[in-house]
Amino acid sequence: MSAVNENVLFQIQDETNPPVMEETVESRKYLIFITDDLRLGVDAEYVVEILNTHTATYLPMMPDYIRGIFNMRGQIIPIMDIRLRLGKPPMESESLLVVLNYNGTQLGILVDSVEVMLDIPNASILPIPSQSAQKLVSGMCTLPDGSGTMLVLDCDQLIPHE
Amino acid sequence: MSSNDILDMYIYETNSLLEQLETIVLDAEKENTFSQDNVNEIFRIMHTIKGSSAMMEFDSLAAVSHRIEDMFFLIREGTMSVVKDADRPALFDVMLRAVDYFREEMEKVEAEEPLNKDVDSFLANINSLIAKIKGEEPAEETPAAPPPQAAPAASAPAPAAVPAAGSGNPDFPHELRVFFDDGCGMENLRAYMLVTSIQSFCSDADFLYEPAGVESDASTAEKIIDEGFLLMFKNPENREKSIAVIREAGSVRSYQPHDYVPAPPQEEPEEESVPQSNDAAAAPKAAAPAKAAAAAAPAAAAQQHQKESLISVGLSKLDQLSAIVGEIVITEAMVTASPDLKGLHLDAFSKSARQLRKLTDELQDVSMSLRMIPVSNTFQKMNRIVRDMSKKLNKQVKLTLIGENTEVDKTIVDSIGDPIMHMVRNSMDHGIEENVEDRVAAGKDPVGEIVLSAEDTGSEVIIQIKDDGAGVNDEAVLRKAIKNGIASPDVEYSHKEILNFLMAPGFSTNQQVTEFSGRGVGMDVVKSGVESLGGTVSITSEQGRGMITTMRIPLTMAIMDGMEVSVGDSIFTIPINNIRSTLKVTANDILHDSVNGEMVKIMDGYYPVVRARDFYNLPTGAEEIGDGILMWLESGDCSYCLFVDELLGEQQIVVKPLPAYVNSFDIKNFGITGCSILGDGNISIILDAGGLFAAARGA
Repeated sequence: MSAVNENVLFQIQDETNPPVMEETVESRKYLIFITDDLRLGVDAEYVVEILNTHTATYLPMMPDYIRGIFNMRGQIIPIMDIRLRLGKPPMESESLLVVLNYNGTQLGILVDSVEVMLDIPNASILPIPSQSAQKLVSGMCTLPDGSGTMLVLDCDQLIPHE
Repeated sequence: MSSNDILDMYIYETNSLLEQLETIVLDAEKENTFSQDNVNEIFRIMHTIKGSSAMMEFDSLAAVSHRIEDMFFLIREGTMSVVKDADRPALFDVMLRAVDYFREEMEKVEAEEPLNKDVDSFLANINSLIAKIKGEEPAEETPAAPPPQAAPAASAPAPAAVPAAGSGNPDFPHELRVFFDDGCGMENLRAYMLVTSIQSFCSDADFLYEPAGVESDASTAEKIIDEGFLLMFKNPENREKSIAVIREAGSVRSYQPHDYVPAPPQEEPEEESVPQSNDAAAAPKAAAPAKAAAAAAPAAAAQQHQKESLISVGLSKLDQLSAIVGEIVITEAMVTASPDLKGLHLDAFSKSARQLRKLTDELQDVSMSLRMIPVSNTFQKMNRIVRDMSKKLNKQVKLTLIGENTEVDKTIVDSIGDPIMHMVRNSMDHGIEENVEDRVAAGKDPVGEIVLSAEDTGSEVIIQIKDDGAGVNDEAVLRKAIKNGIASPDVEYSHKEILNFLMAPGFSTNQQVTEFSGRGVGMDVVKSGVESLGGTVSITSEQGRGMITTMRIPLTMAIMDGMEVSVGDSIFTIPINNIRSTLKVTANDILHDSVNGEMVKIMDGYYPVVRARDFYNLPTGAEEIGDGILMWLESGDCSYCLFVDELLGEQQIVVKPLPAYVNSFDIKNFGITGCSILGDGNISIILDAGGLFAAARGA
């Protein structure tokens, strides 16, 4: 077992006041990632870092979507597989770990790949149709470049378990 | 040092003095007397509180402590015999009320709330007690001392209310007693200034004053503070003139004309008391504690010395220290077990590494011990509760403390206070019988007993609250539980289940709501309080024999010795304290019961076998008993064997709590209490032997 080789692709320093707030046009930065062909976006404010390797320790007696815990510089962080959480089959190949810090709760989520970080005006985020059964999503929007539609990941639903 | 630091220091210091004071008073109450050492100590405590409160400009606190100091000055001078037996309960009460008062005020100071300025009634209380004490004084002291004629008004039955022979002077019958402002300082010189002004119109032969020698003898100041300055005149005209002079003089609190011929007791001078001046620490008074310290018995002196060798450190600093020590332990393991060293023979390195290991171990022990404090303070507080409640409820109860010196982590000590207090109140209120006759009829000692004990088993602290009262009446409890909708009337409950109703929310068996307990919230608060510490509460009771409440609280060692074991790809840590032994057995040694349970015979007993892999549904791990190893674990009263793959070795580990998100899945109920980062950066899961077995049995 070798020491964890944390290959940091992207990292946001802890900022108490996200710069987003200061902009005149009400918009927020979103990190867009792909999970099972879905394009999901998460408020960049919550993203701590993105890792491409990690050593998960299996934790018994947990739901299957909790893949275990891992050690990020002395902090113990649970890992959730978004695919399993959404009821999809797990991904076979290597996946990326996006570490979120939502109101003090840290959680790593396994995603297929990370696409881009974008500024999205708050106004362009629309509520999802009420008849949609899509879980964990609080809104959706068409990307400015017209490349597709992003679903906004709802951390409120994600972090507390059902 | 910022002003906040000073305030913190003041609160801390005052609170610890109050704790000391309360212990002294409670002990003394049992003896019904204060020893001279105690008196000196109380005097010193009050003097310190007075001084520091005045410095912090908490005038009301300074005023109260000043009066108590005065009172103990009298007691110190005249020994405890100046306090009549009849007045002693009042003295103890006043002292305990003073402790409560100061505590309340300290809480306000801490919360930055305004202090209660209205201390007059409390001061009057102390003053009347002082008056009573003074009333006794002439009977004890040498006749040379002039008796205070005005003071004893309150204690009418005391013979001292009548001036004793030898005081006053028939030739100078017109007396005038002058009291100076509290704490104005240099009372003797102020008195002398009065004398010189009187001399301007009245010849020396026409008046006398007591105490004599005020101009040169500073010690007379104390006497003037206590008894006033007594002027005696031959004729009333001079006295009238003197009154005019005294009115003009500064710092005079009150004066009182008095004729030598015994007159009906007059108004107490203290009642005219005016607000005290702030510069309380007057020079002559400052000399007093020094004298007290010198006079203190060697034991007290030793105590004093011990106190000086203590320093107080902020808990956050200790937390920081433990965290750093924890990191050092991990780093040390990472360095000495570095994969880069594999295959190298480094004699000097291994030697130094061993030395380093030894030192980090020591460092760890020391840093751990810093956070450990004895439970004695928490226990001592119960003395007070038992005392107050036995008075209020008119029950005779003694409290026995066992294992007060058991040390536990500071955070635990802070949080067990309330649960213990609740249980002690419960025992006092509901446990111990109302009537002594009932106790005698049951063949018990008329004096009830509550035993509070603490025991450290290595992995947990066991705190027991045991009373020898009436015990739990199962039927009454069940009736109540049914009434409150906790229990169903159609179900038959076992004794144990009925006892568990006591800990259900909203249960209180007492018919009436009392001041102390029975407000509908009760044992459930105790239960949730202890559970928040990761502990458990259990009740046993035998009707007519009393009740025992047992709290088991883990020591929550931040660092502990554990055995690393592997099951497939997973690594678990089992606390060394729980491991009795490990053994290798073959499939033939395993016995099966009718419900697919496995057992093994060790020495002269059969013990159940729990397979870690099966219990935790692990994907990998040994299946054949012969391929793995059995660990014989013990925790509390459970004893069993855990089947694992391999022992990886003993290691000191730093316990890290599991993330809150993970804990929300009730993982604790499966015996998983925390985790630890190993030297190579991997995580091992810490198992709680007791919880694991309970879960396995329940599964």
